[in-house]
Amino acid sequence: MCISTLGFAQDERKLGPVTRSYAITQATIVQGPGRKIEKGTVLIKDGLITAVGQNLTIPADAIQVKGDSLYVYAGFIDGLSRVAVTRPKEDLSKEKVKDPGNPAPERAGITPQNDVRNFLNPADKAVEELRALGFTTAHVVPHGGMLSGSGSVIFLGGSSADEMVVVSRSSLYSELTPAERVYPNTVLGVMAKWRELYRQASLTKSYESTYASNRIGIDRPATDRVLEAFYPVIDKKIPVLFRADKALDLQRVLTLQKDLAFSLIAVNLKEGWDAIPKIKSSGAKVFLSLELPEEKKEEKKDEKAPAESPFTDSLERKALEKRRADFVALHAGQASSFQKAGVAFGFTTLSAKTKDISSNLRRIIRAGLTEDQALAALTTSPASLLGLSDRLGSIDPGKVANLVISRKPYFDEKSKMQYVFVDGVMYRIESKEIEKPAEKKTDKP
Amino acid sequence: MRKLFYSSLLIIASLNAIGQVERGSVLIKGGTILTITKGTQESTDLLIKDGKITQIGKNIPAPQGVKVIDATGMFVMPGIIDAHSHAGLDAINEATNPVTAEVFTGDAINPFQIGLYQALGGGVTTIHAMHGSANAIGGQCETLKLRYGVKDPDGLRMDGAPRTVKFALGENPTRVHGGANNILPRTRMGVEFVIREAFSKAKEYMEAWDRFNKSKTQKGFRGAPPTYDLRLETLADILRGEIIVHCHSYRADEIFMLLKVCQDFGIKKLVFQHVNEGFKVAPELAKFGAMASVFADWWAYKFEVYYSTAYNAAILTKNGVTTSINSDDGELMRHLYHEAAKTQKYGALSDDEALSLITLNPAKQLGIDSRVGSLEVGKEADVAIFKGHPLSAYAVPMITIVDGLVRFDREKDADDMRIYIDPNIALDATTAADTGGNDVENCLQGAEEAFNYMFDLN
Repeated sequence: MCISTLGFAQDERKLGPVTRSYAITQATIVQGPGRKIEKGTVLIKDGLITAVGQNLTIPADAIQVKGDSLYVYAGFIDGLSRVAVTRPKEDLSKEKVKDPGNPAPERAGITPQNDVRNFLNPADKAVEELRALGFTTAHVVPHGGMLSGSGSVIFLGGSSADEMVVVSRSSLYSELTPAERVYPNTVLGVMAKWRELYRQASLTKSYESTYASNRIGIDRPATDRVLEAFYPVIDKKIPVLFRADKALDLQRVLTLQKDLAFSLIAVNLKEGWDAIPKIKSSGAKVFLSLELPEEKKEEKKDEKAPAESPFTDSLERKALEKRRADFVALHAGQASSFQKAGVAFGFTTLSAKTKDISSNLRRIIRAGLTEDQALAALTTSPASLLGLSDRLGSIDPGKVANLVISRKPYFDEKSKMQYVFVDGVMYRIESKEIEKPAEKKTDKP
Repeated sequence: MRKLFYSSLLIIASLNAIGQVERGSVLIKGGTILTITKGTQESTDLLIKDGKITQIGKNIPAPQGVKVIDATGMFVMPGIIDAHSHAGLDAINEATNPVTAEVFTGDAINPFQIGLYQALGGGVTTIHAMHGSANAIGGQCETLKLRYGVKDPDGLRMDGAPRTVKFALGENPTRVHGGANNILPRTRMGVEFVIREAFSKAKEYMEAWDRFNKSKTQKGFRGAPPTYDLRLETLADILRGEIIVHCHSYRADEIFMLLKVCQDFGIKKLVFQHVNEGFKVAPELAKFGAMASVFADWWAYKFEVYYSTAYNAAILTKNGVTTSINSDDGELMRHLYHEAAKTQKYGALSDDEALSLITLNPAKQLGIDSRVGSLEVGKEADVAIFKGHPLSAYAVPMITIVDGLVRFDREKDADDMRIYIDPNIALDATTAADTGGNDVENCLQGAEEAFNYMFDLN
């Protein structure tokens, strides 16, 4: 369990905290990738970092965290997650429809007007679990179908939905997910519908501005919540955050982006390595999945098969195993491939099991990413990709006090989390949780 | 070692990324060239440069650095073209509406399907990757070149090939929509109505946009545009003659019906698919200029396909209908040369006529006959090399070339030709051979759900 030092403020009358000033002293501070201070101090006040360095004066009102043997990093940023996001109360996705070719948009998974803020539950257990790994910020999106709504950047702390939100309506979220038994029921339909909606929105938006400039004598445009949700995308005020797990999902998303020319952040990539040049020329931004295939797949024992089947030890089997191992290596090396190609990237936890995230990060490092590059992908890069570099991503005065504090360096196998600061609030992480975290997927199927 | 691996990967990927088609040069020496259009030439060489056929003749010297294939005693023919396939696609039927002209199989290309490589093993170089037959007006289709090995789906597209769209008559659309969902069409009359209604709406739509675009040029015009509709946009393009209609059909009466519908709406580019009763309306098809793509001898898999004959292709051909033989199936696709040969037993077609059924004629039906379908100087170098005459029972496809690149070589046929491996699936002896194929009714793939719905099985 994580205990907030503000946990006592639960009475009927809400009391302010005694102090919001902290000093983490004598710690190894990794301000950002490649920026290390030995035996340094971080000062925090009212949710912001006020000073970082050696030989700083500790303010009288500060709670002192003795940092000897501790390592301090900027809080991690998750590019796509459904942490804290509850499902809509009504599940329309299975409802029978009289004419499957013309379902209501909600039934077809087309609800871009939804706002993830309406579904946030700060008490979701997954918030604690992800925070215990060092994540302090996440880009979260609503549950749903091909266009489930707009996403927000949230802090993994706070006691109300609005308190969690850092940037609201920060993206329009989309997946190539077909609707069940109604149009669009295949990826064919989803792609066509996407193009149609986008072009319709472009036309209605342009007519709305004609109307707004002079309303005399022309038809009043009808309002349309679905199409209006595309307007900030058409204005390039927000990107489309498009889920693209598999190689071909990514190719299809890039096709849509090429056809319609919206700003794209392709998220949760698992097989992106072959598309790197295409990504580069498209100008798309990317977040890579922290889910990796198991290194050695456990074979199910076939009881009926004879114990010594000719396949067990055959050359054919060995060749197949080798090819699988090659692909496992490509998955683990995906981040390294993007790094070598000079494409900035962040990570997503959406489909990764929480218990695997730390070990997967170490596998990604073993596959070629340096620890500094991995840290960048968790902090400075996502901050920059999401346009939050002025507030998040490094330990610098004036930035939000989101900190990860561990015993031993974070990527060390024996590292244990000690504290996480979110928005200047300290959470003590009990080490038990690190050793035996819940086996819960952050993205429930 | 790993570094080397990555950098070679990147080179391949970058070739795909810029949409550049990889082309090769090769000299095929001493084979019997089956040109299709210019007769058969024995002991002749064929030179390919940068993906194009540049010379056909005797004793062509090999340009420096150009690979030579010794085809002595072998037969060299144009790459086989399958005018009806569903290979290389992740989705086939958007079966939720009787009209879905807006969807496009080119959005669902899967270049990793091992079936594409297996088709190369049967001498096939180009396929028409079609939408299924669940809807009266199905989706647009994509013409693919089997450049197996590319990782970018765009790398399979035959750039510049005309747009095509799938229509379907008879039992499939009536079962899926009328039977399962109790909406139009429930009968053959309903199918005709659905198509006529769709075209009528498209005509109105087209006219409304034409009016709007015309008004827009007038000074001070501030009117609202018509509601954009991708389905009607596509149907309007059919009316404008920009899209070739490929219509799944069996019975003579419904084939004749669609001829009349197309006549009424001024649609001229029309190819019938399957057309099992085509032999009954062959003169009418020829008069209209409609073409036919048929099976050699596949029928009786449902009620509407009982009245069939193996003489169909020959009768259509002799009546002047441009006819092809297609597969609609991953297995049949691998021996289309054998299917074409059946027309010599049933109908006594000549070698050139029989081979045209799987080369030049399907090329005409896809509107790509100026580029592929015969071995002529200037055409794209898609070539199949056979041991044994391709129309003989002893024919064995040995080498298949696409754009001048050898994409299949029986002598160097590796055990595991998969491009992408899913590390999460369990290994078993059949993993590498898995075709992901289907047994029957490919045309209705993806529409099963509608049947389950009908019988409330789910």
